[in-house]
Amino acid sequence: MTDSEGNTVKFNKAAAAGTIALASVLALAACSSDGTGSASTSTSTASKPAAVDYSSLSGTLTAGGSSAQANAQAAWTAAFTAQASGVKINYDKSQGSGGGVTNWLNGSYDFAGTDAALSADQFTQAQTTCGSAGGVNIPVYLSGVSIIYKLDGVSKLNLDAKTIAEIFAGKITTWNDPAITALNSGVTLPSTAISVVHRSDGSGTTANFTTYLHQQEPSVWTWDAGTAWPNSIGSGQQGGSGVVNTVAAGNGTIGYADQSSIGDATAASIEVGSTGKFVAYSEAGATASLDASGVIDAQGDGDLTVAIDTTKITSTKAYPIPLLSYDVLCKSFKDAAQGKLTAAYLGFIVSSTGQKIGAKNAGAAPLPASFQTKAADTLSSIK
Amino acid sequence: MKSLPDDREGIGSPQRPGSPQRGAGTARVKARPADRIFRFLSTGSAGLIMVILAGVALFLIIKAGPAIVANWSTTTDLSGGTTQGYSSFWAYVGPLIWGTLFSALIALVLGAPVAIGIALFISHYAPRRLAGVLGYLVDLLAAVPSVVFGLWGIFVIRPFLIPFQDWLNQYLGWIPLFSGPVSRTGSTMLAGGVVLAVMILPIITSISREIFLQTPRLHEEAALALGSTKWEMVKLAVFPYARSGIVSATLLGLGRALGETMAIALIISPSLVFSVQMITDTRNSQTIAANIALNFPESNDLQRDGLIATGLALFVISFGVNFIARLVIARTGGPRRVKKSAKPAPPSDPTSVLTADAAESPVTIRSEQAARDAEAGDERTELAAEQNEDR
Repeated sequence: MTDSEGNTVKFNKAAAAGTIALASVLALAACSSDGTGSASTSTSTASKPAAVDYSSLSGTLTAGGSSAQANAQAAWTAAFTAQASGVKINYDKSQGSGGGVTNWLNGSYDFAGTDAALSADQFTQAQTTCGSAGGVNIPVYLSGVSIIYKLDGVSKLNLDAKTIAEIFAGKITTWNDPAITALNSGVTLPSTAISVVHRSDGSGTTANFTTYLHQQEPSVWTWDAGTAWPNSIGSGQQGGSGVVNTVAAGNGTIGYADQSSIGDATAASIEVGSTGKFVAYSEAGATASLDASGVIDAQGDGDLTVAIDTTKITSTKAYPIPLLSYDVLCKSFKDAAQGKLTAAYLGFIVSSTGQKIGAKNAGAAPLPASFQTKAADTLSSIK
Repeated sequence: MKSLPDDREGIGSPQRPGSPQRGAGTARVKARPADRIFRFLSTGSAGLIMVILAGVALFLIIKAGPAIVANWSTTTDLSGGTTQGYSSFWAYVGPLIWGTLFSALIALVLGAPVAIGIALFISHYAPRRLAGVLGYLVDLLAAVPSVVFGLWGIFVIRPFLIPFQDWLNQYLGWIPLFSGPVSRTGSTMLAGGVVLAVMILPIITSISREIFLQTPRLHEEAALALGSTKWEMVKLAVFPYARSGIVSATLLGLGRALGETMAIALIISPSLVFSVQMITDTRNSQTIAANIALNFPESNDLQRDGLIATGLALFVISFGVNFIARLVIARTGGPRRVKKSAKPAPPSDPTSVLTADAAESPVTIRSEQAARDAEAGDERTELAAEQNEDR
C-alpha cells in the first residue's frame, strides 16, 4: 500500500528511464552480457537475444499480487513497454500476495507477485495449473525494513536487535530506558513513553520484520514469524502508509515499514549482529545483506526460493533487515508464446538494467549479481 | 413476497401519479402489450432481488463451510496469518461479533439522538428556507464515500479526541469503558464510533424527518389548542405518532453501522478481544467487516473461507437486526401505521412509499436500500420543502 499520488510522477520518470534504458541496452550490449556471462556461456547466449528481441514481442500479460513490489512493477512495466510497444502488462496490486497466488493457481494470471515463496502445498497445487513441471519462485524485488520513529529533539537513533525486539514486545516502554541510552551516547533521550505502531492488515513487511526478530532474539521475540502482527502491543494501522503517517503524527512513536515507502520519516540505524557498528539503510547495504544471508533453497528444479538467515549478516556494509519479494510463474506454459513473453518480461526485471530501474524509480535495491544470474538461468528454461 | 406486484397494482394508481400504472388504471378494461411488458419487467425485478439474495446466502454458506468444519488447531493452512492461534472458528468469530455490535452501539448512542434532533429541527423548528438547506446538507453527508470519512477520522478526529480521551480517563477512568492505558495515537474505538455516528446521521435524519412531517396537522393543532407549548405539542402529538418510524430509522442506522468497513479499518487499531474499553490502543474489539478488509489480501484459500464465514455471521446479524426492526414496527403503534400506508396516501408523500417499501421488501437488503435512498435525498428535500409550504 503506497500513496497513489506518487504514481504518475513515477510513471513519467520510469518512461524516461525506459528511454535511457533502451539506449543503454543498445549501446552497452556487451557490458550487460558481462553480468550474466560468467556463470555459463550457454545461458548468456540464450538470454542475450531475448534482451535484444523485446521490440518484436507483443501480447498482454495479466498479473497481480504483492503490493510491496507494485511501484517497482509499475516502473518495470513502463520501461519494458517503452522497448516492446506491442506489449501490455497489467499488474493488480489490490490482490495482495495471497490473492495473487490464488489467481495464479486458478490459471488467470501469467505470473503473481508474492512476499512469501510458494509453500510445498502450493507447489503441489501448481502442478494442476502448470502441468507436471509445476511452478517456480523468482526473487525480483529487494528492499529493507526500516525502523522509523518520531521523537522530538532526537534526529539520530541507534538500535540493536535486542532493543528493537524488546520495544516491539512491550518490554521497553520509555525512550530513556537504559537499554536505549547505552546505544546512544551523546544523545539526550526524553522520558517520553514509547508508542509502538504496527500493521493491522496482513503484510509481507510484517513477515520479513518478524522473521528478523525471531531469528535474532528468539528469547525475547517468542512469537513465530508471520504476516499478521502476533502480539497485542501498540497501535495497528492499515497499510505501510498508515504506519508511516501515524508515526509521523505522534511523538515518541516507533514503527516499521518498507524502506521505499517511508518518505520523509526518520529511520533508526541498526546494529549489524554484535559488531557495534550501526548501519543506516542504503541500496548497497540491502544488496550486501541478501548476498550474505540468502541461500537458494530450491524446492524443485530451477526454483529460487531464498532462505534468509539474518544472523549471517556480519559485514558492516550490510543493512540488517532485508525485505524480499518474489514473482511466481509456471515452468511450462500451455501457450508457448505467452510463456516466452512472461519469461522475457521477468528476464528484463531481473537483469541489471531492470534492477537499476527498480532502484531508481521505486526505491528498491538491486538483487545481488549471483541472484540475477540464477534468475536469468531459470527464466531461460521457461517454455 | 410474490404477492408484492399484485398489492402494488391495487394501490398503484393513486400512489404513484404519472407512473405507467396510472395508464393501466384508465385502460384497465383492455390490457395493452405495454402493460404486460411493464408488469413482466416489474415482476421480474422483484423476483431478481430474491434470486440475488438467495445466491449471496448460498455463496456464503458454500464458501464458509470448509473453514467452519475444519479443525483449526491442526490444519496447517490456518496456523499462520490472521487465523493463527485459534482453536476453532467460533473462537475466532466470537470477538469479531462482539466488536461489530459494540462499535455499532457506540455509533448509535452518539448518533441517533443528534440525528433525531436535527430531524425535529428541520421539520418543526427551522424557518422553511433554512430547513431546505439543512435537509440538503444532511443528505449530502450520505454521499460522502466512507473512505473519505476514514481519512477525515485519521487526520482530524483522531488527534482532536486525544485530549478528550485523556480527560475521560483521568476523571472517569474507574468506568471500564474509559480505563487506560490511554492511546497516544488516537486509533481508538471512540474515534471510530464518532466517525460511524456521523456516517449514520443522514439515514436516521432523513427517515425521521419525513415521518415527523407526516404528523397529522389536526393532532398538532389540537395539542396547541389545548394550551400546549411547542415542546409539549412535539411530545404529545409528534413523538407518539412517529415512534415506530424513529425506531425503524434507528435500526436502519444500526444496519449501516454494522456493515461499515473502510472507516473502521482505517481508524481503529484492532485486536480480536472481548473488550468494552474505548480509549486504548490495544483493547479495541475488531469488527467483522474491517477484519475481512484488512486480512483478505494476504490470506490463503482456507483463511479466505474463514473470513467469508465471518461474513456469513455478519449476514445473519444484519438479518436479525432487520427482523427485530420489523417486529418492533409491528408491535409499537404498528397497526395504525400499517393501516395508514395501506390506504391511499397523499400522492407526493414520499414517506409512505419509503415505509411501505421498508415493510414489504426483502429485509436484509433494506439497510443498503435506505443508504441509496438517502443518497437520492435532494429530491426528497424538495418534497419536504413543498410540504412545509403546505403547512
